[in-house]
Amino acid sequence: MKIFIDPPNSLILFDLVERFGHEPLSVMATIQERVDNLEIDMPPMNVSLDDVKKGLDYAGIEVPSGIRGRLAVWGPLIDEAEAAIIMEAAPYSFGCVGCHRTNLLVEYLVRKRGIPTLEIDYPHDEEEARNMVIKVKEFLEGLQ
Amino acid sequence: MKRETRLIVISPLSEITPDQITRAVYAMGHEVTVKETCYGAVLEGTPETVKEVMEDLKKLDPLGIYSKIRGFPLGDPKRCRAQHGSRPGFSQLQREWQDLALVEKGLECALRGEKAEEQEDRARMPVKELQRFCEEVSD
Repeated sequence: MKIFIDPPNSLILFDLVERFGHEPLSVMATIQERVDNLEIDMPPMNVSLDDVKKGLDYAGIEVPSGIRGRLAVWGPLIDEAEAAIIMEAAPYSFGCVGCHRTNLLVEYLVRKRGIPTLEIDYPHDEEEARNMVIKVKEFLEGLQ
Repeated sequence: MKRETRLIVISPLSEITPDQITRAVYAMGHEVTVKETCYGAVLEGTPETVKEVMEDLKKLDPLGIYSKIRGFPLGDPKRCRAQHGSRPGFSQLQREWQDLALVEKGLECALRGEKAEEQEDRARMPVKELQRFCEEVSD
């Protein structure tokens, strides 16, 4: 099954989803297609002009452009997903390399779709990591 | 020809080295490009070959080797730090690499068939408690 992961560039979630036999829908694969098709010719931008319009399908015009740009890339992945894993409070999804408003909108869009969703916290110690991995394993095995 | 680029990341607990990874890939004799890095290696080839190589590589240390797709190809001038690329972005990988030690322990437990412990739901702090907390701090 196609599993949307949030954060959509997480190494931990990408590897766990593949390890337990599913296809992770990640932002890296989308960016890979864009880079190979020469759609991105203005670094450091990750979106093309069409994406600016596509972002409006997921967020209103009054929403900041950074959020719309992110959702233009992540939104189609959410539409394509058959299930989702949301890892909350990942340290790198907030601050200079993340966007909390986008995270909230992504969670909203995933819940709105009504697909099977697992919500877990980013692990900070062995006990939390143990619970996180076991929950991910049980969730993914339950989808088969 | 479609290409796939993968980051291969070695857990801090693993005894495998990036050098062993690259040598193992060369020894397999597939048509792939591999570059040794501080966290593991970057692998590039057709999706089918990369999948085959990854399956064999993970046999070296099933719980110690992790991977994810990378959007940009090997040596991309937009990304490569050797050419002062505009997308450094190593901070996330560094953080996740550190926490792979925790994930590895978690995987060991999961594969032993252990069950997750019930955790208390995080509730919001009541306003009165927050008020008391603020007063304590300001005193």
